[in-house]
Amino acid sequence: MSFKEFTKSLSNNGPEGELIKTIFISLLTSFALLGILYYLSFRYSSSFLPKYGFFAFFAILSYAVILPSVRYVRSYKEFLCMPGMMIGMTMGMISSFLPGFFVGATNGMFVGSMFGMAIGVSFGVWNGKCCGIMGIMEGVMAGFMGGLMGAMTSVMVLNDHLKTTGFIIFLISAFILFGLNYMMYKETRESERKYKDDEFFVILLTLILTAITLWIMVMGPRSFLFGN
Amino acid sequence: MKKTTVYIALTLIMVGLLGYLLLENSNTNVSSAIQNSASADSGSNFQKVVLSMQNYNYYPNTVTVKSGQPVRIYLDSSVQGCYRGFTIRSFGIAKYLATPSDYVEFTPTQKGTFQFACSMGMGRGTLIVE
Repeated sequence: MSFKEFTKSLSNNGPEGELIKTIFISLLTSFALLGILYYLSFRYSSSFLPKYGFFAFFAILSYAVILPSVRYVRSYKEFLCMPGMMIGMTMGMISSFLPGFFVGATNGMFVGSMFGMAIGVSFGVWNGKCCGIMGIMEGVMAGFMGGLMGAMTSVMVLNDHLKTTGFIIFLISAFILFGLNYMMYKETRESERKYKDDEFFVILLTLILTAITLWIMVMGPRSFLFGN
Repeated sequence: MKKTTVYIALTLIMVGLLGYLLLENSNTNVSSAIQNSASADSGSNFQKVVLSMQNYNYYPNTVTVKSGQPVRIYLDSSVQGCYRGFTIRSFGIAKYLATPSDYVEFTPTQKGTFQFACSMGMGRGTLIVE
């Protein structure tokens, strides 16, 4: 159950072996969607890349690191209360903070926090239910807090190293999710895999998340600070 | 080669490609894009400065005024929210300018460069006293 064993298991055929593959599939899907949208619409807007490029890039990377954990939780379905609460809290917090931060940076506090909360609470409940009501409650609370905090942080640092902050926040969040995957690995050594999602699950979720995020960033409502 | 190694390599390539395409034309810093300088209007007995808002910051965000002459700073109607709380810490100025006709007035007696900001420090700029 050591860390070394975990890294070795990333090559096996079990749920752990799907973690890196999921990141790749998610990135590939986002890349394809972005290419299509850019060809059809965004290329006509000269301000797309300067205004949204950085934030779209990190939003896409965020979904690529969040989705493997979602898939991993679903593989085992049930966890004890303590790890289940940690799963609900971590998924709720990270999946609300990152979208909230990047959308908040382009659309303002209200839209960013609402979007972050919607994603975070959904993911928090979805993943937190692996241990019952305690995990669900943790997921809701963390999603609610993370969405507000993410958007608030980006608006607060708009004129003070916004992009550097976004980069650092992404790195820390990715590290936290990696830690969560390791924790789940340790907790499930005595368990059997209960469910297997196919690649379509990752593709569909990525398409939905990326499409909504890009749409909100480019065409969604925004606060007075951002032009409307 | 192991399957995982292939996926890691492909993932890194994908990140690099996405980063190249999306970040290539991205601004390095939103606020650094604004480096305009504006001289204040020298009125009869005070220097009038009107700040507006562009790219999530005060515009112009570099203002030059003369030493020893009173300065009035106004915020036009494009300035909203916490940006209407105007502060120059070096001069002890912190005032909420509710309407475009409200202003802060002070007389800079010392030459140098001073920072002004909104009450939350989100909008910032530089006041140069010559």
